[in-house]
Amino acid sequence: MGIRFYQEPQLENPILVAGWPGIGNIGIIAVDTLRGILEAEEFGEIEPWDFFYPKRVSIRKGILEDLEFPSSKFYFKRTEGKDIIFFIGEEQPTEGGRVYAEGRKAYHMANLALDVAEKFKCRRVYTSGAAVALTHHTTKPRVWAVPNSESLIPEIRGYGNTVLMSDIEGRGGHGNITGLNGLLLGVAKKRGFEAICLMGEIPVYLQGLPLSYPKASKSVLEVLSHSLKVEVNLGKLDELDQEVEQRIEEFYQQIPSEIRGQLDRLKHVTYAQPAEPGPITEEEEKRIMEDVEKFFKKRGGRG
Amino acid sequence: MSQEYTFKIYKEPDLRRSSLVLGWSEDMSNLGRKATGYLNRKLKGQEFAEIEPEDFFSLGGVAIEGNLAQFPESKFYACQEHELVTFQSDSPLAGWYKFLNSVLDAAEHHCRVKELYTIGAMVSFSAHTAPRQLLAVVNSAEMKEVLGQYELARDLDYQTPPGERPTLNSFLLWIAKGRNIPGVSLWVPIPFYLAAMEDAQAQKKVLSFLNERFDLKIDFSDLDQEIREQNEQLARARSRFPQIDDYINRLESNLMLSEEENGELIKKIEDFLREGG
Repeated sequence: MGIRFYQEPQLENPILVAGWPGIGNIGIIAVDTLRGILEAEEFGEIEPWDFFYPKRVSIRKGILEDLEFPSSKFYFKRTEGKDIIFFIGEEQPTEGGRVYAEGRKAYHMANLALDVAEKFKCRRVYTSGAAVALTHHTTKPRVWAVPNSESLIPEIRGYGNTVLMSDIEGRGGHGNITGLNGLLLGVAKKRGFEAICLMGEIPVYLQGLPLSYPKASKSVLEVLSHSLKVEVNLGKLDELDQEVEQRIEEFYQQIPSEIRGQLDRLKHVTYAQPAEPGPITEEEEKRIMEDVEKFFKKRGGRG
Repeated sequence: MSQEYTFKIYKEPDLRRSSLVLGWSEDMSNLGRKATGYLNRKLKGQEFAEIEPEDFFSLGGVAIEGNLAQFPESKFYACQEHELVTFQSDSPLAGWYKFLNSVLDAAEHHCRVKELYTIGAMVSFSAHTAPRQLLAVVNSAEMKEVLGQYELARDLDYQTPPGERPTLNSFLLWIAKGRNIPGVSLWVPIPFYLAAMEDAQAQKKVLSFLNERFDLKIDFSDLDQEIREQNEQLARARSRFPQIDDYINRLESNLMLSEEENGELIKKIEDFLREGG
């Protein structure tokens, strides 16, 4: 079980940017879009068989020809700003039927990704995922940033449309990041890497739907590209966002009007500059959450 | 490699050039377990090894089935006289690559296994009155050639559809290929309305092939009796319930039933057989 390199690129103090599927596929869409725009070149992969169950078998004329596994690949791009290594996993390694990476296998994969970072003298890591929030799908998602070191906080404060956990209402600087996005941040800390997890906000009522949420990926990518000093055209994400937005609207109209009325109030939640009729109260927040839960329970996971 | 994998050998079997036949417990119609169990019974298979469960199964408690506490089992049996090894196991829930390599390690290093045969069932939309087929998927062109002399469908084309995953048998066959062990996945299509019940005809189909392949000289009269009883039960169901008869008639005429009708047929047949037919 290890890493297979196809080539060993010469890189100067690169930055590692990692992405995996998760809620709304926010992180992986952001990271993979950037990889595609920059035309990063594949240079290695983590051997999959100990981490994953195969995803596809090909049988031709009765002979088993191939068995494909979810990939975990490394790409590189030399840029004028900073050299970048991308690590993109098609799945998170899970154990015991859990949805997100946890346990020995996940810890091992996080360490393998950082082994590659170390080999190329990378000291900075970005991961990306979703932040489930009391927001509305018509508003621009913010990016929640969680660093693994105090020294990164001033830098984060300079990012646009980004908040720290202490800025988020009712959080008091606390929370948790599930799966590899969180684990990699922790393992990076243990091994002395600087790391920041950038999480795009997804409305609470969309978190269980089998839909991507490119609007939040775009917010993440804006922050990430600024931080990496690369200019990117996000038109492709806008197109994807418009497609998804239509499906979200269709779903939204199916929500009973009483609950939808509550959710509509989230349109007015602009935390930085409260607008009329003002941010919702704690009590209202509780009621919205209860209504949303009730609605999804009733749908019986038909999302 | 073997130190890395976790199996326990109770008694070294005396095998020189054996074949491994494998069946999973959770197989449709319980086919894998029934067929390997039948071989063990008829050929006096002796349990000689097992794979330890801790890396592969959830051990947070025990499941209860039929009033009994269950525990995951992954056991090897040696049928020494016939140079045959059988492996019966629950399907692992984690660490699949390690588990399947452990199976092949035990088989190669302790039983000198040279060929692998897996048993599996798949859904068929044919009536139970149609003869059972046997399909083979191999991991080498040479093995396909070897099977040419048997009555098998050997030209299957297949790719896992989106949203589904390959079977453990395919995974094992692929690992065996990497280790240069020729292997065959044997598949018997089972009428969908018998999937949750046992299908003696399907068992006989796969066992007859193994009987011929390894010259086992098995007397199948007991299985033939089971087949007769199963057919009689299903005939009784048809005569008692015109609806069942109508559905099966349509399947016999190669007509498809609607999803709702499929569900109804399954339920009626299962209820009937559970009540003793």
